[in-house]
Amino acid sequence: MTQVEHLIVDDARWDTLYQRTRGAVALCYQCGVCTALCPWGQVREGKPLSVRSLLRRAQLGVPDDHEDIWLCTACAQCEALCPRGVPVAEVFQSLRGMAWEERRVPKGLPSVLWSITWNNNPWSQPPSHRSLWAKGLEVPRFDPNEHEVLYYVGCTAAYDRRAQKVARALVKLFQAAGVRFGTLGDDEPCCGDATKSLGYAPYFEEIVQNAAQVFAQNGVRRLVATSPHCFDTFRNYAPRYQADFEAEHYTQFIDRCLSEGRLRFSREVPLRVTFHDPCFLGRRNGEYEAPRRILDAIPGLEQVEMARSRQDALCCGGGGGRMWMETPADERFANLRVQDALATGAQVLVTACPFCIACFEESVKTVGAGNLRVMDVAELAAMAIE
Amino acid sequence: MAYVANELHLVVCVKVVPKPEEVRVDPQSRRLDRAGARSEINPPDLNAVEFALQIKDRFGGKVSILSMGPPFFEPYLRICLAMGADHVYLLSDRLFGGADTLATTYTLAKAIHRLEPVHLVFCGEESSDGATGQVPPGLAEWLGYQQITLVSDIEVNMSQGVVRGRRERQGGYEILEVPLPAVISVKTGCNEPRFWDYRLKPWAFAPERVTVWSASDMDVDPEFIGLAGSPTQVVGLEQAPSRERKRIMLSGSPEEVAQQLAARLREVLPLSG
Repeated sequence: MTQVEHLIVDDARWDTLYQRTRGAVALCYQCGVCTALCPWGQVREGKPLSVRSLLRRAQLGVPDDHEDIWLCTACAQCEALCPRGVPVAEVFQSLRGMAWEERRVPKGLPSVLWSITWNNNPWSQPPSHRSLWAKGLEVPRFDPNEHEVLYYVGCTAAYDRRAQKVARALVKLFQAAGVRFGTLGDDEPCCGDATKSLGYAPYFEEIVQNAAQVFAQNGVRRLVATSPHCFDTFRNYAPRYQADFEAEHYTQFIDRCLSEGRLRFSREVPLRVTFHDPCFLGRRNGEYEAPRRILDAIPGLEQVEMARSRQDALCCGGGGGRMWMETPADERFANLRVQDALATGAQVLVTACPFCIACFEESVKTVGAGNLRVMDVAELAAMAIE
Repeated sequence: MAYVANELHLVVCVKVVPKPEEVRVDPQSRRLDRAGARSEINPPDLNAVEFALQIKDRFGGKVSILSMGPPFFEPYLRICLAMGADHVYLLSDRLFGGADTLATTYTLAKAIHRLEPVHLVFCGEESSDGATGQVPPGLAEWLGYQQITLVSDIEVNMSQGVVRGRRERQGGYEILEVPLPAVISVKTGCNEPRFWDYRLKPWAFAPERVTVWSASDMDVDPEFIGLAGSPTQVVGLEQAPSRERKRIMLSGSPEEVAQQLAARLREVLPLSG
C-alpha cells in the first residue's frame, strides 16, 4: 500500500509568507516549468529540486523543515520562463527567513552572519586587512571633489587571493583609461548579498541602509562594483533607502570607457575564449553585451559561444548563499559548465564574477580539465594594455 | 539536591574585547592600547552564551549576562539579549578600572552573590586580550562553587542537581560531574552561537534591560577592587611580530598536489621513522 505523507496545514504560516513575498507566492499554479528548468535536476539524478512542490507546500502553509529550501542558487533560470512571474528565489529566501526564526538553519550559516557583524565581511577576515589587496598599487581614498567614481571592491575581491587579481587588473584598466577613482579602503561597507541570499531579510535591510548612508556621507554619486552580486544589491535594493548614487558593474563601466575612446587595447591576446554570463549580471540585471563588447575589442582574441549562453546560461552554483554551503563534488553545476566550455574548444573560460571563478576553478580540477584556464574579463582586458 | 527547572538561574560572564589584530602595545604604560581598535564580544564568551541558552531552551529558567567594563560595552551586551538572554548587569565604575584577575574575580563574584540564587556560571575559557584563563577558577574560589574548566559539552541533571561536563585535555578528555552551583569555563568554538534574532532587537535595546552597578551599589571592599586590589605588576610587555603565512599554491593533479604537500610537510615536521 502506498504511504501517504501526513501534512499539517498552518494558515498563519501562509499569511506570513504571503505578506513577506507581497503576495507573489500566491501566483504559482504548479505548472512545474521551474522544476524542469532547475539545474539541480541535471546534477542530482532522480532527486531534482522540486521547486513546484516546495511552492505548493508553502502555499498550503505546511511547516517546512525541508533542507531543499537551502539549495536554490537564485540563478533565476526558472524565473525567466515562469508563466506567472513568480520571484522564486525571493520565495525561497522568505522560507529561509522563517527557518532562521525557527532556528532550523544548516550548520555554519550563523557563523557567516556573525562574521559580517564583527568583521564587515562574510569571509571571517579581519576588517583592518580589507585594503591589503591593493598593496603596492596607487589606490587613493575616494574624494568626491577629485574622483568621478567610487571603485567598490567588495568583500570577495578584497580578501580572496584569486579574486584579488581581478581587483588589481581593474586598477590597471582604470589607470590606463585615466579614470579618476578612489575606494573607501577599510571603511568600505559590506553589500549584504550573503544576508539576503541566506534569507535574513531584516539584517540585509539594515546593511543596505547603512551602506547607502556611508556612500552619502562620502559624497558618492556613482560606484563601480567588481562583483555582480554587490552591483545587484546596490542597483536594485539601495534605492529603497533614498540612495542617491548610481551603481554599475565594472564591465558596463569599462565598456563605456572603450566606446568613449578613453581606453584602447593595443596588445594582441591570441586566445580562444568563451564567456560565461554570471546570473546576477545577465538574467538578474539584463547585461549580456557589455562584457562581450570588451572581449571583442581585444585584438587577436577569438570569442566563441557555449551552447547555452545569455538568457540560457547555466549557473556556476555559487549564488543564493551556496558559496557558504558545501556541495558534494559530483553535484556541482560548475562541473557541467566546464564541460560546456570544453565543448567549444576554448582555451579560456572567462567570466565576470568572483563566485563563478571560484566555482569553475574547483570544477576544472574535479573534472580534470587541466588545460582550461578560468579568467575574468578584467584580467584579459588588462593583458591587452601596453 | 533536586532543582525546579523553571527557577534555574544561569549567569554568563561576557567581556567586550578589541579585535586582536588591531591592538598595539604601549611600551610606556605597559598596557594594551586599544584606541581606535574595533571591538567584539570575546569569541568563547559567545560559546558560553550559547550553552546557557541551550539549557534555558530545554529546562526554562533565566539567563543573566554579567560584565565589568566601561559604558561602551552596553550595545555589545544587548546583542546577547537579542540571542535570548533575559537581562544584562554591567559593573561600571572608574574605581573598577585597572583590575587584574584577582580584583576582577572579586568584583564579579560580589555581583553574582547579589544575583543569587544562581545555579550555573558560564565563562569563556579565556579572553582574547588578557588570555590568562584565570577568571573562571578565580570566580569559583571566591564564590565557593564547584568548577569544570575547558568544557566542550555539557549536560545538566535537574533531578540530581548536578552538571556533567566534557573537559578537553591535551591528548584526550575527561568527563567530570559536580553538584550545582558550579562555574563552567567553555572551550572556544565548541558550539556555533545562534545569530541574534532581529525580532528581539527593540526589546533588547529598551533601556530597562540593562542594570548598571557602580562600586557604591555593591557591597565591595575598596581595598579589593580596581588598581588598589590588584597585586599583579606587569614588568615587561612586548609586541610579538605577527606571523606571515607563506601561502604557497600547489598545482597539478590531485595526486601530484598530495605528493608535493606531503614532501613539504616532511620538511617542516620532525617525523620519526
